[in-house]
Amino acid sequence: MSMRHDINAPILQVVGLSVRFETPLGLVHAADDVAFDIYEMETLALVGETGCGKSVVASAIMQLLPGNAVVEGKALFSKMDLLKLEEKEISRVRGNEISIIFQNPSLSLNPIIEVGEQIAEPLQVHRKMARRESHQVAKGFLSRLGLGERSLMRMYPFQFSGGMNQRVMIATSMILSPKIIIADEPTKGLDRALARDVTSEIEKIMDLTGASLLLITHDISLAAMISDRIAVMYCGEIVEMGKCKDVLREPLHPYTCALLDCLPERGFKPIAGASPSMIDPPQGCKFHPRCPYKTQECMQKQRIRKIDGDERQVRCWQY
Amino acid sequence: MAGDFNRVASCKATEWAKILRLDMRGLRIALFGLLLFLTIFILAAFSDIFAPYDPWNRFEPFLAPCREHILGTNDLGNDILSELIYGSRVSLIVGFGAALMATLIGTLIGLFAGYFRGLMDETLMGITDVFLMIPQIPLIIILAAFLRPSFWLVALIMGALWWTSTARVVRSKAMQIRETSFIECSRSLGFSHMHIIFSDILPNILHVIMPKFLLTIASAMISEASISFLGLGDPTMKSWGMMINFAFTRGGFINGYWWWYLPPGLCITLSVLSLVLMGFSLEEREEETMRIE
Amino acid sequence: MTFSGKKAIRYFLAIILIFSLNFAIPRAMPGDPLANLLGEDVMLTEESIAELRAKMGLDLPLHEQFLAYWRDIFSFDLGYSYHLHSPVSAIILSRMKWTLLLAIPSLILGAILGTFLGALAGWKSRDAGQKFETGLVLMIYCTPPYFLSLLFLYALSFKLGLFPLKGFYSTGSALDIAHHLMLPVIVMTLFSLSRNYMIMRGSVIQERGNLYAAYARAKGLYGEEILFRHIFKNAILPIITLLALDFGFILSGALFIEIVFSMNGMGNLIYDALLSRDYPVLQGSFLVITVMVVSANLLADLLYSRIDPRVRWQ
Repeated sequence: MSMRHDINAPILQVVGLSVRFETPLGLVHAADDVAFDIYEMETLALVGETGCGKSVVASAIMQLLPGNAVVEGKALFSKMDLLKLEEKEISRVRGNEISIIFQNPSLSLNPIIEVGEQIAEPLQVHRKMARRESHQVAKGFLSRLGLGERSLMRMYPFQFSGGMNQRVMIATSMILSPKIIIADEPTKGLDRALARDVTSEIEKIMDLTGASLLLITHDISLAAMISDRIAVMYCGEIVEMGKCKDVLREPLHPYTCALLDCLPERGFKPIAGASPSMIDPPQGCKFHPRCPYKTQECMQKQRIRKIDGDERQVRCWQY
Repeated sequence: MAGDFNRVASCKATEWAKILRLDMRGLRIALFGLLLFLTIFILAAFSDIFAPYDPWNRFEPFLAPCREHILGTNDLGNDILSELIYGSRVSLIVGFGAALMATLIGTLIGLFAGYFRGLMDETLMGITDVFLMIPQIPLIIILAAFLRPSFWLVALIMGALWWTSTARVVRSKAMQIRETSFIECSRSLGFSHMHIIFSDILPNILHVIMPKFLLTIASAMISEASISFLGLGDPTMKSWGMMINFAFTRGGFINGYWWWYLPPGLCITLSVLSLVLMGFSLEEREEETMRIE
Repeated sequence: MTFSGKKAIRYFLAIILIFSLNFAIPRAMPGDPLANLLGEDVMLTEESIAELRAKMGLDLPLHEQFLAYWRDIFSFDLGYSYHLHSPVSAIILSRMKWTLLLAIPSLILGAILGTFLGALAGWKSRDAGQKFETGLVLMIYCTPPYFLSLLFLYALSFKLGLFPLKGFYSTGSALDIAHHLMLPVIVMTLFSLSRNYMIMRGSVIQERGNLYAAYARAKGLYGEEILFRHIFKNAILPIITLLALDFGFILSGALFIEIVFSMNGMGNLIYDALLSRDYPVLQGSFLVITVMVVSANLLADLLYSRIDPRVRWQ
């Protein structure tokens, strides 16, 4: 991984992002006051349990949420606020400057279009490239991912394995050399060996294209392997953020500690209690009902503590 | 996609709303259809109260709409408004009779094919495919031509032909439900196949059968109107299709007596529409619910 | 191109079954099979009846009659109409071309317009303008085609005098035929459009919720691009089969439209045959229509296997 930023300005700045869904049962607070920066050539991992709202954050940035979502906040990218763009304008950003890899490759690809055409499509849509030419480029990318055989271009997703389809998506996402690639659970449902393959493919692309990566995963060990910085999400909030090494070596937030204790190498300890309802989240710190260190303050208010400038932050009263 | 959480949340939400019977998505249109349908149903049930005259009574023929005869009279001098009101009966009886029979056959075939699968499925679905290809209206015309027209017969033939799409839908649903763990559970408890099919699977697909049933009534009504238009209707009953046929063949149309053929035509359209609105909106709702779950 | 044997067997069975039904109907119905086969009101002397009975093989055992029936079918002999004094196959052949002249352009127009408008309606199903359009199409969908014809005929021909009242032609020139055909074709197109529209709309609504549609948007496709580059092809797949199954219904619609417009095609042939109980003509028409419907289904299956790679590669 290339070393990062410091002097550079961030290329994506997410500020105060909140997402709520209107459902018949009431408002679901899927993301609350989420803020993070992504710098050039870096990998930021957004880690958390399934249902903590991390995927919602990714979709919100791309304006891909369903109609019942209410989004607030800002996502600044090359002097634009992505959240305020019209559909027409954001569609020029999607796939072109920011691309996303969905978590279910076999369902995300169109079942009756040849994979070659699907990889080449962004070239035709964004660059108005002729079909044949775009297929040439697509073929180049596919072979870089180890799917070089000519005939593969004319195959259909149902003829591919999940791992192959994942690679097709990776090739599609990088074909226009975007500035940011968002990978939403790229290894979900893949076995260990395949997950490792896909991970190394992703790393290869990051080096190749110089794009930044927003990695969304529930898998801390994957995040540890490839990310520069880590942000831990719990119940729609980022509870702790910092350099990957620091967070893993010296977790500050009790939830991060608990999450790390769940890992097999640390003894498989489950977190006591259950995830809170997102319709009616707890007052104050959302982790307090499950937190062994809770105090009176925790139940009423939250505090974000910044350490080393902006380098490290934690949402907890202990610090 | 990204909304994995969203999906979970709304799933819980719909379950709750179902329990509380608060889920109104897409129901407004269905309600409108229901209202329209009830109006027609009440007219049919209490024709003798609503109709100003006996539809067989003869007055002066070819009267234009006037105070005594709001929609005028036909070539025989029958009051058209009374004919119209009594005509709803044939439509509804044929529609309901045919749909009831078709739904019964379709449900049984679909359940058996979907539950037993294998050879049973192959055979039953093969038969369904064959039935699907029979040109139904021409066949009904032929049979009705050979047998003296009676609306019971028409309903019977339609019922025997129109079970195919219900069978297909029920089969695929039954196949889905058969794989769920509660069926597994029933099987391991040693319940008989028939018990599982009728007490475990059937109640869980009633919500798919209902819209199909409504749409089948609609098709049967439109076809009854078509058959009657050909003069194959039951001569002992007044029906809307027959009224249009008489208007068409006995000069009502050529002379521009719109009050003779326009009202029955509109009645057919509206009653079919009422059922189609209910059927379609229930079906669409079903699809949306499925997606969320 | 694969064409599974199972499907072939089903088509084969369908044809056998329907043709056998056609054999059975006049013989199983109440009354003298001879009358059922000749048609009622045919005036014949005693000896010619006996002669005909022997000639038509009605005194033979049923299975021999059945074999003879099939032999006739394979030599395109559909019987003889004593009302029209002509072989049924010749009558149908001469009438069929007029029906096809009405049905084919309308079916094609209706299929194209119906699928495209229906796709757009499904894509923007929440848009107020679309809802209005869908409502209008739904009204047509719920109207029997003959009543729709009456309405159009009354409004456009009677009141406005834009179109001729009846028939296929008066002078016989191509332009004249086209002028006569215009209104029935419009009605027939609307009728088939309304059915395709509703089916396609539902299919698009179902498809647009799939993940691949969301991914197409994430790749930067905008608005209708997503519909036409990704959803349309998927949505039309189930449609092809449904359209073929609907073909029989739509064709029956053409018959009714012909009757209202007094056109000299199959519809009026059947109508007249009904009035005079000319059973051979009725049965022959039924068989020809069956063959057309089954062929349409066969065609749809072939087309389907062409378009859907999942079937093609099996």
